Order: sequence, then C-alpha cells, then structure tokens
Amino acid sequence: MAQDLVIYAVVHQPRRIKLPAQPIPQGATPKDIEHCLFDDRLNEEYFRKVATYCYYPATEMFLELASGGLKFSIGFSVSVLRQAEAWDRKLFDLFRQLARHRNVELVNVEPYHSFLPLLDLRMFAKRMSWARHHLEKVLGKRPEVTDTTEMLMSDGIYHALDKLGFSGAFLDGRPWVMEWREPTHLYHKGKDMMLLARHYQLSDDVGYRFSNKGWWGYPLFADSYAHWLREAWGDFVVLAWDYETFGEHHSRETGIFDFMRHLPEELSKRQIVTLTPSEAIAKYRERSFYLPLPAFPCTWAGQGGMEFFLGNAAQQAVFLLMLQAYNKALLTKNQKLIDLALWLIQSDNLHLIQWFGRWGSDAEVSAYFTPREWWRLGPSGIIWEMQQVYKNFIQTLDAYT
Amino acid sequence: MRRKNITPENTEFVILCFEGLDHYSLAGGLGVRVDYLSATLAEMGFPTHLFFIGDPELNGEEVRHRGKLTLHRWCQWISRYYPNGVYEGENEKLYDFNESIPWFVKDRVVKPAVAQGKLVVILGEEWQTAEAMCRLSDVLHYDGLRDKVVIFWNANNVFSFHRIDWGRLNYTTTITTVSRYMKHIMWRMGLNPLVIPNGIPKSLLQKVDDRMADEVRRALDADLILCKVARWDPDKRWNEAVEAVARLKEKGLKTVLLARGGMEPYGQEVLNNARSLGLTVIGAETKPDSSDGYLAALQEAPPADIIDIRFHVPLDFLRVVYRAADAVLANSGHEPFGIVGLEAMAAGGIAFTGGTGEDYAIPFVNSFVLETADPMEIVGYVMYLREYPEESTRIRKAGRSTARYFTWEAAVHNLISKLENQARIQGTLGGIPMPSVPQFTPAELMATIVKRHY
Repeated sequence: MAQDLVIYAVVHQPRRIKLPAQPIPQGATPKDIEHCLFDDRLNEEYFRKVATYCYYPATEMFLELASGGLKFSIGFSVSVLRQAEAWDRKLFDLFRQLARHRNVELVNVEPYHSFLPLLDLRMFAKRMSWARHHLEKVLGKRPEVTDTTEMLMSDGIYHALDKLGFSGAFLDGRPWVMEWREPTHLYHKGKDMMLLARHYQLSDDVGYRFSNKGWWGYPLFADSYAHWLREAWGDFVVLAWDYETFGEHHSRETGIFDFMRHLPEELSKRQIVTLTPSEAIAKYRERSFYLPLPAFPCTWAGQGGMEFFLGNAAQQAVFLLMLQAYNKALLTKNQKLIDLALWLIQSDNLHLIQWFGRWGSDAEVSAYFTPREWWRLGPSGIIWEMQQVYKNFIQTLDAYT
Repeated sequence: MRRKNITPENTEFVILCFEGLDHYSLAGGLGVRVDYLSATLAEMGFPTHLFFIGDPELNGEEVRHRGKLTLHRWCQWISRYYPNGVYEGENEKLYDFNESIPWFVKDRVVKPAVAQGKLVVILGEEWQTAEAMCRLSDVLHYDGLRDKVVIFWNANNVFSFHRIDWGRLNYTTTITTVSRYMKHIMWRMGLNPLVIPNGIPKSLLQKVDDRMADEVRRALDADLILCKVARWDPDKRWNEAVEAVARLKEKGLKTVLLARGGMEPYGQEVLNNARSLGLTVIGAETKPDSSDGYLAALQEAPPADIIDIRFHVPLDFLRVVYRAADAVLANSGHEPFGIVGLEAMAAGGIAFTGGTGEDYAIPFVNSFVLETADPMEIVGYVMYLREYPEESTRIRKAGRSTARYFTWEAAVHNLISKLENQARIQGTLGGIPMPSVPQFTPAELMATIVKRHY
C-alpha cells in the first residue's frame, strides 16, 4: 500500500506558428524571420485566456495548498515563462512565488518543449543545462530533478541527463516500459540518476477523465481518489499532470478546484504523505530497482509511444521538415537562426496535428489543442500551411549558408 | 438627428492600395489614380488616410494638404528587402498587408472617427486589397462598427480576378469599377458593380502652349503626326497603329508615329513587324530633363517613320505632343477606362479610342471611336481630318469641353453621391437628402436645382 505521494505539474504554452504561412522576404534578418514564423498575436490571446481560467486560479490554489502543508513539484517551460514575462508580469511574479515556496520543488523541463531529445542528444544536454541555470536565475531555485518534453525518456535520454548531474528524472510508467514492474517504486538504469515513474492510470483519472461523464468513475471525489491512491501497491505514487488540467482542460465548473482543495484532508485521513521528488529519491534511493529502458522513447502522451507524435503521414512529413530545418540552421552557425529552428521543433507542432486521419478520443484531444483560428483553412489546409512554414524557413536559410 | 449628406465635417476617408505616390510605389496608372483621388478629397476638406506600399526610406507616416491627408507607408520592413519597386516581393507584402491593415484601420482610424460621431468611408483598389477589405469588414462587424462604415472596393482592371473570393468580397463590400465596359465584363461574372469613372486633374485643363506644339510639328517635319502612349501589349493594338502608318506611307504621306511604350518585350515584336512592313524605326534614347531638352531630342532624331521614345516623358510635354499630333491613338482592344484618350482631349488633341466604349468618347463629336481592328479605319479618319481641317478644330474644342466633366472633382462628386446612396441603404445616413452640387454644373442647371430644392 503506497504511503507516499509525489505530485508534479508542468506549465507550458506553445509558441504557435503563424498559419497560413507567411512568406519570408529574401535575405530577411533573423528578427524579421521570427516575425514571419510565429503568431505572437494569437499566442498572447491564448495565453491571456488560459491565464484567466487556469493560471491565476490554479496558482492561487496551489499556493494555498502549499502553505497548508501539501508538498508538490512544478516545472515551467521557458516558452510559458517568456510569455508570462512579456504579457502578464503579475502572473509571472505569482509563478515565481509558487516556485520559491518551501513546500514546492522546481523541476527542470526541456526549455522550448522541443523534440531535441530525439534529434540531437548532445545539443539536448546543452539546452537542459542551460535551462537549469536559466530557471535558477529567473525563479530563484536550482532544479535537481528533471522532466523532458512530454516526459520523453529512453536509454539515450537517460544517459544524457545523468551526465548533467540530475538526481532524478520522470518517465511515464506505461506497461510496455515497466513490463512486469509497478510504477510505485523508485528506479534507475545503472547510473546515479533515479527514475520516478508516473502512475499513468491514477494520473489520467484526474488529468484526462475528471470531467468525462461517460467514465465509470465520474464524478470523482477527493475521498474516493485518496482511497485509490492508498490502495496502490508499492512504495509511493507519482501523479503528473499538465498544469492546465486545472481550469483549462477541466473548467472550474467541473469542480476540479474543489476536488484539489479537499484532497489534502483526504490524504491525511489515510496517512498518505506528500513528498517532493527529491525527498522521495532520498527516502527510497536505497530501495531503488533497476529498470531497463527502451531504445524507443516513451512519453506520457497518448498511449505512451511515439505513435502519438509520428503516427500519421502528416506528422511524419512535418517531422522530416523539422529535421531539415534544424540541421540546415546548424550549418549556418548563426545562433539566432539555430534558436528559431529550436522553436520550430516544438513537440506541440506535431501534437496539434495528431488528429490527421484519425478519430476517437485521442484525436479529439489534439483537435482541442489545435487553434480554432486554423480550422478555417480546413484539415488539409492546416497540414499544407504548416509544412509551408518549415519550407519557407529552410529556403530562407540559403542567404546564411 | 441623422446626418443627411457626406460632408468634410462628418466623414473620414480611408484608401487602401498597393500603388501610391512615391516613386517606389508607382508602376502604372493606379498610383496616379490614388494620388489624385486622395489629394482631391483632402483639398475638398475630407480627412483622408492613404495606405500604400511606400518607399521604405521615407517616413512611415506623413501628413500633407494642411493636415487633411495622412500617408501611411505600409510594409516598409519588407520593402527594405525589395528595392525594385512596389511589386517586387508582392506575395510577402500581400500577406503582411492582409494581416495588419484591418486591425490598424479599425483601431487607429475607424474607432476614433466613430467616437467623434463620424461616418468612415473605406475605398479599396484592385485585387491586392480584396482580402484585406473582407477582413476589415469582419473585424468591424465583430466590434459593432460595421454599420458606421461604408466600404467600396474598386476594380480598375481584370488583373488577378481569379485570385479574388468574389462571394466574400461581394458580401462584405460594395463593388465598383471605372467604366461601363468593365461593368459589362463583371456582369458576366455574376457581379453588379457601380461605375465610378476615373478623372484627370484640373490642371490638365490648362491650355497647351500652341507655339510649343508648332515646334514639335516643325521638328518632326511630317505630313502627319500620330502619337501612341501605352504599354507594349497586344491589348493595346500596336500593330494596328503600325500598319496604319505603313498604309499612310503607301499613299505618299510622310507619316511619323511617336511611340512611347514601356519595358515589355512585346515592343520588340511590334517594332520588328514595323520593319517588315518597310518602316524605318529609330530609338530616341536621350534623357532630357526639360521641355527644350525633349524638343531637342525630337529635332535631333534622324528621319524615321516610327520614333521609339525610350525615355520617360512627363505629362506636361506629352500634352504638347498630343496637341501637336494629328491623332492620338488610344485604340486598345481592351481598355478598362482609357485615361490617355481623356488626357489627349484635355490637351486639345484628337483621341482615337478603341471600340471598348470609353465613357467619355462620342464619335465624331469629341473623338473618333475605332470600331474595328482594321488599320484602314485609322487611315480613313486621319485622311478625313486632313481633308476637313475645320473638323479637326471642332473636335479638338469639343474634346476639351468634355474633359471638364471628367476632372477628379467631378469623379469625387460622383463617388460621394453613390456613397451617400449606399449609406442610406445601410441606415447610416437618413432624412431627406440635400443634393450635392458639383462645381462644374452649368449655371442654368444650377438655377433649376436651386429653384427645386431651396
């Protein structure tokens, strides 16, 4: 019976590309290229909306809970932090306040939420190291535990992160990764860095299914949930969610905030203790187990495999263009252009077209994330224009190679 | 009480166009059109905003005409990468234009004007502005402003008609065009445009110096002088003009055609055709910068049947040439408006227009209207004028009188009347309208209007 609980939430907003694709003037400066690639007006609109429905109420709630003794961890992509700094300084300060709380552990995150761990492990390691310093500078705490993008983990990613000196990393505890093992223990892959396996079922009960009236567990109350947590076999449960779960994916009206506010009391009744990831690592390090990691990356998205991001022809085509864009940018040796290429390889750009050629709940999730303004282009138009964004960038690099 | 008329006190104008008045922005007649249109509106007292693809090295915003005209130079950040004029980098500019103009116009022009109780009129020119106009209508609608704005989109030509979403444009704007000829073309597409003709500046009504015209005639030393100013384009029927020269030469008449084309490669085909007909062709390359210089260029040119003028000729000197010529061949097979013919008439020249039915041309009254592509039609009329010089004098005089009805002031009055009608349909204007009396109205007609309405 698990007696400890690790809660982790990651805050991220994508830097949406501009659709339809804006033609880039020949010889444009990196600044002008940037203006053509990304839709800042749309990003600001979405950011402010999510801030109203989620970031403000959720952060206020978590601050309350932290002050009441709940321990948890939080990660911020640089993508969302930059947006907060630019468009809502008050919210940015609130994020900082939360990150600095004594009961909150700051977790490192792949800064641009990009697919760098798949494309270039060496650059990925550099960027993760940079992110660690950046988060320390901006939020005032040095992360010791790390996440990646969409909780990507593989054998190669593990070694890259271990070399950076992180004490722990998250991975999604899917059956095909864990095999016969429970996700409720601490793991490692032969090196110093520990692995915290997300309990995907219990996490998705809140993150994914909370407001689903067709789910057998609906409506979910804090006492039932706390009971399920207590009944889990093993040492501790890791719950990991998108921060946007609270207020955005599940609106206030679903009762998600009330649920969370009642949860600490229900946990306490069942002697479940919340720990930060570092505390869990310290407590269970001596009892950690070896976990062979797959060569194929696993993720917390979809069914846990890369098919969520690369399962359809449209995603595969855009991924190829991402590779071309990134590698050609490297050839220019121009840091600003490389930076733009890193933005272009955000995982969101494949997440947003996961619906292509599909139907059902997975497709609905990603269709939900696709900006509604894009739908006037039609499904094929979205794919075409998205590809055009990459092609325009690739062509524009001619002036710099 | 709702306003009854559009006046400078209660209305602001916005004009959207790719071309404009900067040298960078001029590519053809469209830039000249919006230059004169905006200036005329401003001179009439209407606060006017002209948005165009301006010179990237000039100020983004500039105020003229005692504060009444504001020039907004758009897409300058893109134009810096494309120094060769307004249409270089057209797709890049088009995207940026569509993306940014609607919001800017709504927030920086329409909202403040409406807050002052004004009506706003938005005029868009040509296909490049069609999408921006539709989006502007949408954003105004979202903000509850659409009924305070009258939006007219104008087709000057059929260029890139296939790129326009006509259903959307027709729904969100009132479509206009410059002539009945264009209207009939658009009727066939299921559209119902209003006609608001182009105009010429009032300054073109000034008399041409006849001594200068005589100098031109003496310089060319020919029995007949024909003049043609047009793009090298099959639509302009250059070959008809060239063949007319050949036929006149066969009749023993020393004929000179002053040909001012553009940079289009079709010009070579035309001139080769001329040579194959036995005509001598010389190119005048000199770049003079004064009327005397232009005259000297003609005087110094060796004798030829066709003088291909390869330098820019300012309108002032062109007017002299129009006056001097026995015929100004504006004989296009497809001519949306025909500004050259009108300019020729204003200068006291004799316009030979094409058969597309220029609205200002009345055959044998103020011009000759060529009904066919047969060069003998040109030859016949030229010979007629040579036979009856008094007819030439009469037609020249009638042409100048006609031109008075086609100034920009007249065109703007026409525009305003149609805007008022549309505004009444929208409910933005109300009450019994007061007639808008144009300045050129003959005195006897003025008296009738005054008697009826006052």
